[in-house]
Amino acid sequence: MKAVEVMVIGGGPAGLCAALSAASLGAKVLLAERDGTPGGQLVKQTHKFFGSEKQYAGDRGVHIAQMLLDKARVDSNIEIWTDSAVLSIYEDGVVTVEHEGKHAKVKPGRSIIATGAAEKFLSFPGNDLPGVYGAGAVQTLMNVSGVKPAERVLMVGAGNIGLIVSYQLAQAGVKVEAVIEGAARIGGYLVHASKIRRAGIPIMTRHTILEAFGEKQVEGAVIAQLDDNWLPVAGTERKIACDAICLAVGLSPLAELAWQAGCEMAYIKELSGHVPIVNEFLESTISGIYCAGDVSGIEEASAAMVEGRLAGISVAVSLGHGGGAAEAMQREAMGELGELRAGLMGRHIREGLAKMDSLAAEFGIRNSEFKTPHAAAELGIGCEVQDISISATSPASALFSSGVPANEDIAKICPSDERFAAGPVAVVECFQEIPCNPCVKACNRGAIAMPRDINDMPALNARLCNGCGRCIPLCPGLAIFVIDMDYGEDLALVKLPYEYVPIPKAGQLALGLDRCGRELGRYEVVRVMPGGKRNMTHTVALAVPKELAMEVRAVGVL
Amino acid sequence: MENRDSETIVCRCEDVTREMILACIADGYETLDEIKRVTRAGMGPCQGRTCRQLIAAELSRHYGVSMEEVLMTTFRPPAKPISLGVLADAYASENG
Repeated sequence: MKAVEVMVIGGGPAGLCAALSAASLGAKVLLAERDGTPGGQLVKQTHKFFGSEKQYAGDRGVHIAQMLLDKARVDSNIEIWTDSAVLSIYEDGVVTVEHEGKHAKVKPGRSIIATGAAEKFLSFPGNDLPGVYGAGAVQTLMNVSGVKPAERVLMVGAGNIGLIVSYQLAQAGVKVEAVIEGAARIGGYLVHASKIRRAGIPIMTRHTILEAFGEKQVEGAVIAQLDDNWLPVAGTERKIACDAICLAVGLSPLAELAWQAGCEMAYIKELSGHVPIVNEFLESTISGIYCAGDVSGIEEASAAMVEGRLAGISVAVSLGHGGGAAEAMQREAMGELGELRAGLMGRHIREGLAKMDSLAAEFGIRNSEFKTPHAAAELGIGCEVQDISISATSPASALFSSGVPANEDIAKICPSDERFAAGPVAVVECFQEIPCNPCVKACNRGAIAMPRDINDMPALNARLCNGCGRCIPLCPGLAIFVIDMDYGEDLALVKLPYEYVPIPKAGQLALGLDRCGRELGRYEVVRVMPGGKRNMTHTVALAVPKELAMEVRAVGVL
Repeated sequence: MENRDSETIVCRCEDVTREMILACIADGYETLDEIKRVTRAGMGPCQGRTCRQLIAAELSRHYGVSMEEVLMTTFRPPAKPISLGVLADAYASENG
């Protein structure tokens, strides 16, 4: 039997951050990862992350995974076991692992369960036909194995995963026939939705899949509109031809080990299923067993990383490491979690965690001296944001069901004619309170501000903006454009972010596309500025007729 | 629409259809555990990660209870299938 101070189960974003923070305070850590390489879902994420700099916002998930793994590999306090699936946690705390094909027993002082989540599945006729995939499998095929999964895909689910995977499919040259979503509103970030709309992918809210059909594999799907009771409306059935159906209908916490260990569990729907009850330090009702990341409630990877860090600090402290600095580190992590969860998008998480808190109190594991990570107001973070309904985010806006900003949305952020006349200026098409602020840092002139916190919508001070375009490739949502109305007598220069292949060349003609991916015309590519090795987002400058400067929002290579 | 429950898979690992799950419920089975024992749903390689929620949703619908109230199965080691050889090797090395 191998004795270790800390055992971290799962090498995804939460597990890697837990191992790094516990080790940084002097604890000896064993990290067990089921896969051949740690990184979890991060390794498939080719898009830029949201959040703030502290959660590596603006970096792509795959780069974050590499950076965390590089740190862990050189840390002498961390031992990494790959190809090591944890099989069980017994009552005496012994953890068994299938380690490189052998059965291994480990006796840790503390355990951090960071096993993440599993994808939800749907039951419909034909759901076992080859070609029905979970979104995670499609990402693995494309982004890990370099295999094109299909030619034509129907995406089911318009949460962040459905939207992001649709974008990645489009980047891989796969035609996404439609994204369908049962709810009336798009669940994921609108900037992700707008990106795929510009690529010409329709989003159909209030629609569901009725069946998959095909002889030996998927040849198509039947979809239908849903009524207010989530029942299919007769007569609205239609066939969509496709060779793959990709399910992105949510995640369930992967909490088997917590169940096995005897942790008290609760079904909290806001946290997406059965979760172990944990306190503010992420310790479960079994002393010495901590849970971090999706296993204790489905959130974004940025929150999983901070939870991992918090759990890592907390176990180190409980083992006597860290000294006086540790408490400040705990508070810092709690503050970051509070901030990530403070906006409108974090409302359901806050509701779920409020239930978690009262359950933790019931089981006597709350430490009332400390504020909970999500009690943002108590941490001095602008939590009242949640109750301010900013008009652009009101349910009335078609943007929430279509992903395409309506004229009234654009009118709110469009610089004045006088400002356009004064030279190039940024147009920031970000209409939703999401936890994300790289644009603020991107601007050397301080022209972009978020007065309350990172959940604010960016406010552009057009007088300070000189239209340099530095923010274009740094916005993780690809929602910033620069317009120079004075480029030529009849021409305006529109600078757009671009992440497809092939890359247009200066001097060529390219298609100018509107916010729905419709062709507006063929225009000259004036310049292409590469984003560099790490950023990888190109900025393409297109000369378009002045009257279309506020319409052209994407470029298509001929 | 015609009934296509026999073509709707709930447990992919053990090939259990929605028709079989609904038949169990019609027979009076009330819990995930009972349905698991009768149909093997949830006993394959993924250990119920895919079907557990789907069956729970059917129970919730049929009995008019919330998802919170649907009893989960007992989770026992190992969390994933391993070969008997792996266990035998471990036993041999521990006991000479």
